[in-house]
Order: sequence, then C-alpha cells, then structure tokens
Amino acid sequence: MSVLSEFTKGLWKEVPPFRLVLGLCPTLAVTTAAKNGLGMGLATTFVLVCSNILVSLLRNVIPSKVRIAGFIVIIASFVVIVELVMQAYFYPLFKVLGIFIPLIVVNCIILGRAEAFASKNGLILSAADGLGMGIGFTMSLTFLGAVREWMGSGSVFGVPLAGPHFQPFAIMLKPPGAFLCLAVILAIMNLISAKRA
Amino acid sequence: MRDLIKMVVVLTAICGTSGLVLSYVNEATKAPREYQLLKFVKGPSLKVVLPEGYDNDPITDKIQVKLGTDEKGQPILKDVFPAKKDGKIVAFAYDATASGYHGPVSLMIGFAPDGTLTGVSVMTHSETPGLGARITEPAFTRQFAKLKGLDQVKLSTQGGRIDAVSGATISSTAAVTAVQEAIKLFPKIKEEVL
Repeated sequence: MSVLSEFTKGLWKEVPPFRLVLGLCPTLAVTTAAKNGLGMGLATTFVLVCSNILVSLLRNVIPSKVRIAGFIVIIASFVVIVELVMQAYFYPLFKVLGIFIPLIVVNCIILGRAEAFASKNGLILSAADGLGMGIGFTMSLTFLGAVREWMGSGSVFGVPLAGPHFQPFAIMLKPPGAFLCLAVILAIMNLISAKRA
Repeated sequence: MRDLIKMVVVLTAICGTSGLVLSYVNEATKAPREYQLLKFVKGPSLKVVLPEGYDNDPITDKIQVKLGTDEKGQPILKDVFPAKKDGKIVAFAYDATASGYHGPVSLMIGFAPDGTLTGVSVMTHSETPGLGARITEPAFTRQFAKLKGLDQVKLSTQGGRIDAVSGATISSTAAVTAVQEAIKLFPKIKEEVL
C-alpha cells in the first residue's frame, strides 16, 4: 500500500475506462477529437483529486448513513467550479463538452473512488489514488480521441497527419466508431495482459 | 438522537460551505464569462458587420446606452460595440431582433456615423434549413451594405432595395424588420455614442 503503487495502479492495472470499464458515458461521447478527450480528462482529474482529498479529510466527520449525500455535494461543488472556470477561460472547449461537464457529477469513477478508496484511506494515499486514476482516465480519453480523430478527420490535435488523398472514415466520429475503437483497445490490452501473465 | 443531530449538522455544514464557495467562484468568474459569451456569440458577427481597419476590441470597449425605462422603472440598456481607429469611432454595431417563421431572428447591424449601414449579419435564428435559414448567407446579407434610411431598407416588392430569399418571405421580412428597428434607434444611439 505504498503511495507509488496507489498512483500507478490507475495508469495500467486499473485504468478506469478500459480496465474498470467505468465512466463510459463521457469516454464514448466526447472523444471525437484528441483535444476534447484531453479537456474532459483534465476536468475529471481535477474533480477526482479534489473530491478524494476532501472526502478523505472528512471521512471521520461524515456519519456513514449520509455519506453518499455528503460525497455528492462535495463532488457537485467541484464540478460547478470546473464548469464556471472553463466557461470563463476555455469557452470553445466548454461549448464542445457541453452537457458532459455537469454530468461529471454522476461519473461513477468519481463517486466510486470516493466511496471505495478515499472514505477508507488517508489524505496522501487518497490524493495519489485520485491523481493516478485521473491521469489514467485522461490518457485513455486522449488516446481514444486521437485514434478517432486520426481515422475520422485525418488529423491529431488538429494537426493533419494523413496524406492529401485520405478519405476520412466518417463512422469513426459517430457513436459506432467509439464502440469499435473501445472494443479494439480493450482487446489489445487484454492480449498484452494475457501474454504477461 | 445524537446520530440524527450529527447527520443534520454535518450535512448542513457541508452544503453551507459549498454554497459559500460557489457563490464566491461565481462572482470571481462573472466578468470573464460575460466577455467570452460576447466574444464567441457576437464576435464573429461583429467582424463581419464592422468595416475593416479598426484597431480596438469592440467587445472590451462596448458602451451601454440607456434607451429609456421599462414599466418597473428599470433602465433598458443596449450594448453598442464601437469600432475605433486612432481613438476615433469610425463605425458601431448593435443587435436587433424580430420574429421570424420559427422564432426570433437576431441580427447584428453595423452603422457608419452618418447612418449608412456598414453590414448586417444574422447571429441566431431557428428558420427552416435550406429555406429561411438562407437569410444567413452573404448573398442576402450583403444587400444591406451601403443602404441608408428606412426607404431603402425594404423588400423590393414594397419599393425597397432588398430582394427576399425566394420561398422565404417571412424570414426575409423578419431580417428586414430587425434592421428597420435598428435604424429607428440610430439617432438616439448616435447621440449617446458619438
């Protein structure tokens, strides 16, 4: 139970969308471009780290019968902060992510980590757990976004990467493309893990 | 009983703190949020309707003009966006709204100081795609440039200089009505701005 292992478990062993298969709603919906995935990931990471820290600090104060209500208020507050700040300084990203920012409140990774980890562990471990999970989530969304953007619009982070004769696969930008992409990545990750074992 | 009181106290404390923090963040981000909204909603239209060659940011320099008071005694304010060159106002723009076929049609209208229209751009509308929505196309909107006064800004069927988009008379009329409203406000706004 070292800080480092709590941090790194979120990066591969328990990487949220691919291993825990949690938080799929934003994962599938906003990853039409690498930039959107990154923005969503960072917003989620901020909320995850802050809520983990606060829940961990308050874990002995909040009575267990009302703990979920308490957690949700804490999480929702951070989400509103993210929403306001994003609207004030990153308006184009705010427009793209739209409804998925307020929906971070009900992202099961965040409540999941608060309930399963932060409410039982100390401050440092909880922060490490939140940061690891958040970065894992961000990497997953950015990667998924990059793959879909590359195949669907021929660019990554807006930089054209495909030749002039490239015909974009429009399906990759649509919901079926998200499922296809996710499935292939899951399969590859399982393959690698199976080889290792 | 003790448990119950503790629950109530803790939850109240959490919610109260949360409300306090959020109201602070709300206040702190209010000005930049309003600026961003103007920049991304009205900014593109402002670029189109104001003549090229101004050297200020019309959104930062916006002027609020009082147009009178409503029935509750609150002032009716209108945001006017000036284009300045070397500190002198060369043109200014403000928005006007009229109801179209499916709802309000809102336009940004640019004026030179003598009242000549410098340009018109549709900001928001919910007209039928392919028909009424074609009022947003330059083919329609560029007809307004260089016109002056209510006599010229009329549909050609009524003796004016604007050709309606075919099959979309109501939407075209809405756009023209909005521009006419803006022209009616022009003398008052000019007085305040210049």
